[in-house]
Amino acid sequence: MNDRTTTAESPRAAAIGAFGGQSSRMPLTIVAVAIVFVVGAVAPTRFAGDFVLRLANEGLLLGMLALSVAFLMSQAGLVALGAASVYGGAGLLFAIAMSQWDLTPMSAVCASFLIIVVYATVLGALIVRTNPLAFMMLTLAAGEMISHGVMLEGLRDYTGGADGLVVNFKGSILGMEAADFANPARFWLVAWVAAWLAGLALWTVGRSRLGAILRAVRENEERMRFSGFDTYLPRLIAYVLVNVVAAVSGLLHVLNAGFVSPESLGLSVSTNALVAALMGGIAGSVGPILGGLIFSFAQDEFGARGLTQLLTGIAIVLFIVVFPRGVVGGLWSVVQLQARALSGRRETS
Amino acid sequence: MLKIEKLSVSYGSVRALIEVDLEVRGDGALHGVIGPNGAGKSTLLDAVCGRRRPTAGTVRYRDEDITRRTVAWRRRQGMARSFQRTSVFQDLTVYEQLHLVAQHLGDERLDDVIEVMDLADYLDQKAGRIAYGVQRRVDVALALIGRPHLLLMDEPGAGLSAAETLRLFEHLRDLVRERKIAAVVVEHDVDAVFACCGTVTVLDLGRHLATGTPQEIRADHRVVAAYLGTAA
Repeated sequence: MNDRTTTAESPRAAAIGAFGGQSSRMPLTIVAVAIVFVVGAVAPTRFAGDFVLRLANEGLLLGMLALSVAFLMSQAGLVALGAASVYGGAGLLFAIAMSQWDLTPMSAVCASFLIIVVYATVLGALIVRTNPLAFMMLTLAAGEMISHGVMLEGLRDYTGGADGLVVNFKGSILGMEAADFANPARFWLVAWVAAWLAGLALWTVGRSRLGAILRAVRENEERMRFSGFDTYLPRLIAYVLVNVVAAVSGLLHVLNAGFVSPESLGLSVSTNALVAALMGGIAGSVGPILGGLIFSFAQDEFGARGLTQLLTGIAIVLFIVVFPRGVVGGLWSVVQLQARALSGRRETS
Repeated sequence: MLKIEKLSVSYGSVRALIEVDLEVRGDGALHGVIGPNGAGKSTLLDAVCGRRRPTAGTVRYRDEDITRRTVAWRRRQGMARSFQRTSVFQDLTVYEQLHLVAQHLGDERLDDVIEVMDLADYLDQKAGRIAYGVQRRVDVALALIGRPHLLLMDEPGAGLSAAETLRLFEHLRDLVRERKIAAVVVEHDVDAVFACCGTVTVLDLGRHLATGTPQEIRADHRVVAAYLGTAA
């Protein structure tokens, strides 16, 4: 009995991801993470110029959008191709709420969020019960309907049509005014904190029981139903969560840019988010955000030479075929290999 | 425990089950279901567990008509199913998947299931990396969690040797007897069925052919003509 209990408990400690024997490394990990957070928040504002900071800000926001795409892929096995419709849509709703509905900035943010949550819930309720391919096509279809819908002549007074919409931002949000959001250095701090919070939130969900259920449903949905699980609600919850993250990044984008363009709702932004997620690695939270930063700088470099599509194509091939785990996943594999080699050498010596 | 009345299932123009009646008591004995290929055995289990909606007839479980109930609901009410093709979580360790299901169904006696299915040596291995025979035991173990009242086992011996199948059936027989639950086992290994089942039902071409003790079934000329003559 004791052997069986011991046998059952040691895999249990590993199974639920407890740090177990690594508990002595926990404080060190927390300290390292805190250092990275502080250095990352401060260093760019001190050493980087406005141009680099603007690119980095775009990269962080793209990274957050990529995070929303990556989470759904890695946890639920679903690819959402309409992420930009939420990203750009949240910003558009904010702009409309400020200019048409005369709401205060904070009220406009809340209204945008509420509408996005309702939209994600209704759309998710319809599409998460489909198979992964149908889900992908339905998100694409929904995204395209919205991105083309805002260009309709009849809605031009609200959406600005092809001209986009200037954000009529008066007042403040959490003590920050329009000029603060437009300032690259000050915005970097906001975007950095938001990216960390989004990453931490989704990482926590991934390690929770909801995350375990999502991954099990992804792997064998039928077995989960036959084990008494509701396989629909967890995926719906995940879909709404990732759309909230996408909405946050979209709102921050429009606060920073002061303008909503119809392109921000288009398929190219959704594709960029997907590529950024693949670049950085879809497992975990660090990969997509890093992927967003890499993509943003690479796109600027390639774009200057008119080679943006070439970048996108090469990146897709590279990171699916050659580096399927992305930059972060690949680096982690190298670290693990080195650690194993080191511990092997210690044992033999 | 389980009562099936005039159950019919069709796949388009193919009538897989035709007005089948069956009654299974929860008296701690295995109820075997045998028949040639295409007899409708797996379809019968699919209709009972909710995987397939019947075109006619009813399924009554513990005196309640559950014909329209979902798979997940039936599982939570104590009706468990194992599969002909092993259905486990390849990327999870044996313990992870058993624990996940046990936690959901509120079963605090996971050790009992691990012991009964002899899985203690494999708990920390991913299901995709263990031998097929052990995967079958994991598949059955997933069905045993939550102390179900009714077990539906679809060819639990598929892919196992005759000796392994007989051993598995003996495990199941003892478990079912000890827990006083009902179990319906579809199986091609007629010897294992006759050795361990208290009641045997024979299906042929979607219809109920005969139900009785193993001795009665062996002696039934209709069964011999339709199935046992070729299976023997």
